[in-house]
Amino acid sequence: MAADKSEVLQGTLDLMVLKTLQALGPLHGFGIARRIEQLSEDVLTLNEGTVYTSLLRLQQKSWIASEWGVSENNRRARFYSITKRGLKQLAVETENWERIAAVIGRVLALEVRA
Amino acid sequence: MSDRAFTFVTKLKALFTQRRADAAFDEELNIHLEMLAEKYEREGMSAREAARAARRQFGNATVLKQRQREARTTMFFANVWRDVRYGVRQLAKTPVFTIVCVLTLALGVGANTAVFSVMHAVLVRMLPVQDASRVFYLHTTGWPDGVSQTGDADTSFSYAIYRALSERSGLQEVMAYIPMSSTGNAPVRVGTEPEEAAGDMVSGNYFSGLGVGTRLGRGFVQNDEDNHTSVTVISESFWTTHYGHSRDVIGKTLYIKSIPFTIVGVAIKGFEGTEGRRSLDFWIPLQSGPEFNAWGSPAEHGTYLTRQTFWCMKLLVRTAPGVSREQALARAQAVFEQAAYTGITHKHAGEPTYQLSFTDAKQFDSQDDSFARPLKTLMAMVGLVLLIAMSNVVMLLMARNASRQREFAVRLALGAGRKEMVRQLLTESVLIVALGGIAAWAFALGATRALGAWAHIESNLQPDRTVLWFTLSVLLLLALVFGLAPLRAAMSSGSEMMLRSSAMVSQSSSQMMRAGNAVIVTQIAMCVVLLVGAGLLLGTLRNLLNTPLGQKPQGLLVFGVYPQHTHTAEERIAFFVSLQQRLRTIPGVESVSMVANRPGSGWSNNDSGLLVDSHKPNGIEPEQASFRGNIVGADYFHTMGVQVVQGRDFSDADSPSAPKTVIVNETFAKKYLGASNAVGHILTDPKGTDPSLIIGVVKDHKYTGITEQARPMLWTAYMQGGPVNQLNVEMRVQGDPMAMLPTVRKVLTQIDPDMPMLEPLTQSAVFEQSISQQALFARLAGCFGMLAVVLIATGLYGTLAYRVSRRSAEIGVRMALGAQRSQVVWMVLRGSLLLCAAGVVLGVPLAIAAGKGLESSLYGMKSLNATSYVFAILGVALVALLASAVPARRAANVSPTSALRME
Repeated sequence: MAADKSEVLQGTLDLMVLKTLQALGPLHGFGIARRIEQLSEDVLTLNEGTVYTSLLRLQQKSWIASEWGVSENNRRARFYSITKRGLKQLAVETENWERIAAVIGRVLALEVRA
Repeated sequence: MSDRAFTFVTKLKALFTQRRADAAFDEELNIHLEMLAEKYEREGMSAREAARAARRQFGNATVLKQRQREARTTMFFANVWRDVRYGVRQLAKTPVFTIVCVLTLALGVGANTAVFSVMHAVLVRMLPVQDASRVFYLHTTGWPDGVSQTGDADTSFSYAIYRALSERSGLQEVMAYIPMSSTGNAPVRVGTEPEEAAGDMVSGNYFSGLGVGTRLGRGFVQNDEDNHTSVTVISESFWTTHYGHSRDVIGKTLYIKSIPFTIVGVAIKGFEGTEGRRSLDFWIPLQSGPEFNAWGSPAEHGTYLTRQTFWCMKLLVRTAPGVSREQALARAQAVFEQAAYTGITHKHAGEPTYQLSFTDAKQFDSQDDSFARPLKTLMAMVGLVLLIAMSNVVMLLMARNASRQREFAVRLALGAGRKEMVRQLLTESVLIVALGGIAAWAFALGATRALGAWAHIESNLQPDRTVLWFTLSVLLLLALVFGLAPLRAAMSSGSEMMLRSSAMVSQSSSQMMRAGNAVIVTQIAMCVVLLVGAGLLLGTLRNLLNTPLGQKPQGLLVFGVYPQHTHTAEERIAFFVSLQQRLRTIPGVESVSMVANRPGSGWSNNDSGLLVDSHKPNGIEPEQASFRGNIVGADYFHTMGVQVVQGRDFSDADSPSAPKTVIVNETFAKKYLGASNAVGHILTDPKGTDPSLIIGVVKDHKYTGITEQARPMLWTAYMQGGPVNQLNVEMRVQGDPMAMLPTVRKVLTQIDPDMPMLEPLTQSAVFEQSISQQALFARLAGCFGMLAVVLIATGLYGTLAYRVSRRSAEIGVRMALGAQRSQVVWMVLRGSLLLCAAGVVLGVPLAIAAGKGLESSLYGMKSLNATSYVFAILGVALVALLASAVPARRAANVSPTSALRME
């Protein structure tokens, strides 16, 4: 079963986290993990702990900010939200990703000449 | 890049919130796990299963926590702190090594900083004025015939030129400033005690035109110049020393030449006037009274305001914005050419056009290079000293690191990374450099002050920010060199190699030894250059000190007197005659005389044009007969200890009513009378008027300074006329001349309470001051030479001692095989003598080249002076022998059995 899942590509996790925060607004780590799990439709394996590594990295770059709040089931939780710098970075990264994806797509689409 | 910066700042902040962040993250993880477990429970797992599944899904929490902690903050400081502590321990373990390194650096870098600081202040630093790039000193290449002139040849201009330039040249500002006297000082009184202070008489736009503000009160305005108001601005330091920073100083009265001036302002801190090495205490607006004639000159023939041909004002200009320096100069030149002839009846045919020039508004007007040349030479010398010091420390570090190879090997074997080792070594060298740097800065502050005092520079020479940057960059460079140079020695071989016997290693380091030899040879060569230079300069100093002066300055006290409240020449003569009578009565005074220009002070009256008995002087055109002159009192030659060869000295009988008399020197008699028998001849000016009788011939003796060549000279008596405002009293006393000061001061106060003694000195000191620059130069060169020798000695000793200790096994083997102690000693000594010889061979040609450069600074000796070379070579050889004596003895005392057993 594990063989069917792809490892999360290095660096793409940050992009996913950023995009999630941009789309859904302030969210705690658990919520982010759920969202990624949901969207990836079980294609990607993810140690949920690595989400926190990514969150710390993003925070150090000031792309996201965090504050403590109360979760939907009345628990204390740390909520992360995207900053202005983060939005800018997201736009850049998204464009990069799309460009690379397009290139890779074209490369893979090359047909072997007979 | 900015992302990295953000990351770094966040990490730095995290340093201080470490514990809280850990706790917060723990909480965050637990909540996450709980929520995950709840989710699984909701999906139907048991509580225990859910918790386990949650942990599995989450991954290794402990590893994550650790990683988060490391990622959250930076390990940089923890690591550096660890390195520093380790480095301090290592340095403390070898205190002698550390002290030698730090002191070497302190002396090397400190000397460089001090000399650079002085050089920077003198050659580069600008006046602290606004927009200094548009401010210039004005210079001229000459002045028309018929102009009388202050002696400050190329910076003197007439009042007419000043006015013409201000009004018509298109320059934004023309600032004029005139010293109070030829020494720059004037008698002043703050309370009851009269003293002298340095001041300038300046134009109304002086402060505003330069853009120099005031700390308190106001600067001058045009009205102050136009009405010659009795107001003064004092300097910040005068305010501090005389008014204790009191804010009530504005409105107080300062007596200058016993005229009351109201203090209206205190100049900003750091502005000490525009007189180069002299720092000023006060400024007053241009005055019109006769006592305030320019440079304290007598006003018999009018003041600088009324006598149009009196060139005495120094000028600074500020060009208008948008006008280039060349354009401004061209316009000023046109105005100058016209204004220069104001008051002169006709221009001589073929008289050249005198050219104006602008020089940058530096603290020291750069026209004369009397400071620049010695300073540049000194800078080169301290540069060499620094090189020697640096290579010394490098060699010491290399030796030290090489002997620490075992330590490094162990650390490498235990898993230390090469990166960590490099960082560790760099930290140690940075520590040494930092300690040395701090010591160097302290040393430089003291040395700069001393340099300023010895060179008679009052203005501020202290290191400023530029100098600090210079020193810091030198230190940074040193830290890098010290960190990187010895690395190869330490890291060259792998851990497995070093763990083996160290005796083996000693053979593998011949390449290192060759490098070390090259360094020592270079050092010795530089040392030879420094010693030869020092020898030449010290020889020059000895020649200067031993030059016969032709007089006896020992036991002579000299001080200036400026008679206040005297208005005519007759009153002044009467004043000085009675002063002389009064001073003669002081017990312990052998004789008293007066002189206008102090011998040895550099000042002289230079004149030309005379007839002897109404004929051409010895066939020379009367106009071309030039001579130096001085105005003196009765008993002058007797008081000075100058031999009267023929005739007599001046006496009280040479009074205003007696026929005019003159005394000449032997050179004068020989050149203009063609015989040594000159007494009885009559001298007149070229028109045949103003006759005076030669009453005596004196032996040639030094007048302006020690290096002066004998020239025709004549002396006249002040009692018989000659414009005199201020005279110096020469007193021959028993015992220490300076001990007579209080008595004399009391006598002067009785005559006039406002009359200070101006620049009281012993006459010997006046002559010493005339060579103070050469003396300073020579002594410093001597110091640097000595410093180089000491450095070489320690460096050589350190290297040899290290080599002997490395070779103790080899020496043991040699001795076991029958080598004699003397052979072992000779082996060590021969090594160091060979290095020394190589250094000398390399150094002598360099020294010859350097000596050529010094030639103009030498007096009474050639640059190829054999004694200097012999001393330098002997000195170096002696040092080499001394430095190798201890290691050689240690080598001789190696016991073969224990040396072999040790390995």
